[in-house]
Amino acid sequence: MSEFKHLNHAALLLIACALPMAAVARGGSIERKVAADANGEVVISNVSGTVDVRGWDRNEVQVTGHLGDDVERVDVETSGGRTVVKVVLPRGNSHDGDAEIEVSVPRNSRVEVSAVSADVSSRGVLGAQRLKTVSGELTADIAGDESEVRSVSGDVTVRGNGKPVRLRVASVSGSLDLTNIAGSLDMVTVSGDARVQMGDTSDVRGRTTSGDLEVRGSLTRTGRVDVEGVSGDITLRLSAADGLSTEIESFSGDIGGCLATSVERVSKYGPGTRLNIRTVEAGARVRAKTLSGDIEICDK
Amino acid sequence: MTGKSNGRRVNRLDELAQSLPPPRDLWPAIAAAIEADRAGAPSQSVPRRTRWLPAVGMAAAVALVTFGVFIGRFMAPATTGMTAGTSTTQGSPDMLPAALRDANYRKQRDALLAEVEVQLAAMPAAEREKVGASLKTLRRSIGEIEAALGRDPANALLQELLVNSCQEEMRALTAVRDAGSQET
Repeated sequence: MSEFKHLNHAALLLIACALPMAAVARGGSIERKVAADANGEVVISNVSGTVDVRGWDRNEVQVTGHLGDDVERVDVETSGGRTVVKVVLPRGNSHDGDAEIEVSVPRNSRVEVSAVSADVSSRGVLGAQRLKTVSGELTADIAGDESEVRSVSGDVTVRGNGKPVRLRVASVSGSLDLTNIAGSLDMVTVSGDARVQMGDTSDVRGRTTSGDLEVRGSLTRTGRVDVEGVSGDITLRLSAADGLSTEIESFSGDIGGCLATSVERVSKYGPGTRLNIRTVEAGARVRAKTLSGDIEICDK
Repeated sequence: MTGKSNGRRVNRLDELAQSLPPPRDLWPAIAAAIEADRAGAPSQSVPRRTRWLPAVGMAAAVALVTFGVFIGRFMAPATTGMTAGTSTTQGSPDMLPAALRDANYRKQRDALLAEVEVQLAAMPAAEREKVGASLKTLRRSIGEIEAALGRDPANALLQELLVNSCQEEMRALTAVRDAGSQET
């Protein structure tokens, strides 16, 4: 009998510890704050509404915001350098509860956000970020190496800080707008347009199926750009201090631009044009290929 | 033409002897050889050869058709098998593993498509339309590349585009399928 008593006490203690972590609320506002590692990880999930992540100079994670009537609660738990913020909807209602939350995290945190239709934004975070949404819009300032931004149908806007990072951006039908990116970029979209404005960039790989793709910027001395389209047009405005070599080919599209002075036919009888320029033996290289889209390349 | 015949010089063709008898009669030896051949190998040997020749021809034709079917079954999938996301830079695999890879790819893709259909059905109408249109665009693009490859099978650009487009389709399908798990 005394064993049962001990068990009951232990259970009560666990519940008492867990309660402060969970903001139990049906609708209304939320304000929760927990201690967190300066270089820890923060994992946030919200189905619908908004998620705004802000980096700050405190070793705390703070969650504020408004919850719709269909939101059951928001769990905020921290353990071993990992803080989890989760908007919980009632069982059987997995899509209709709006929650608009702002999550302040230690600036150097690694941040992971998962959303379905919620819009996601992130600002002031220096650690690596992994941001995913299905149909929500995604806007992020990215400074951390090995960051990744993905959407299914939502548009993606990413701003870099000009310092080299490795960044991956992917969407199915959303458009991509990437500015001030430096370092290594891997981007892909199926039907969305992609616009990239780069600082000193060492490696860019991009692909679009039917969307247009535009890359502007400067390449490092050994920089590489490798882009591919199927029916979308490709526009490249690229400069490199020591010049660049190109390997550009379109099966049935046209090749133009200020560098396209020696476009040649691939075959005497079939379609296809290509432009191979070699201004430097070893240096920046640009490779672009498309099925039916046009390719324009210029170094000005 | 100059030469000597019967010790005199021949100046015209009609001056040549009309017949030149052999130094001995060869026919008895020839007749004996024919008789011996008839006795040792019965006369049906020739008809038998004419009976099995068509059979061999038929067998060769069947073998050719079989080989053609084999090539049709396994060579074509080998090409698409490589487009299914396997690297084109990996050696030259023999045909059967390529076919198996292709079958595996198709199986995975079909399974993925079934899951994606479920996922699409659960999406709001506007989003479903947008994502569905993108997936159709991908499929149409792959079809266009395949059609171009049909006209120019050795085109390296088309082969590369096809490989990458098939990989892209799998990536997009996976992204849509996994979209449902992001709420966890």
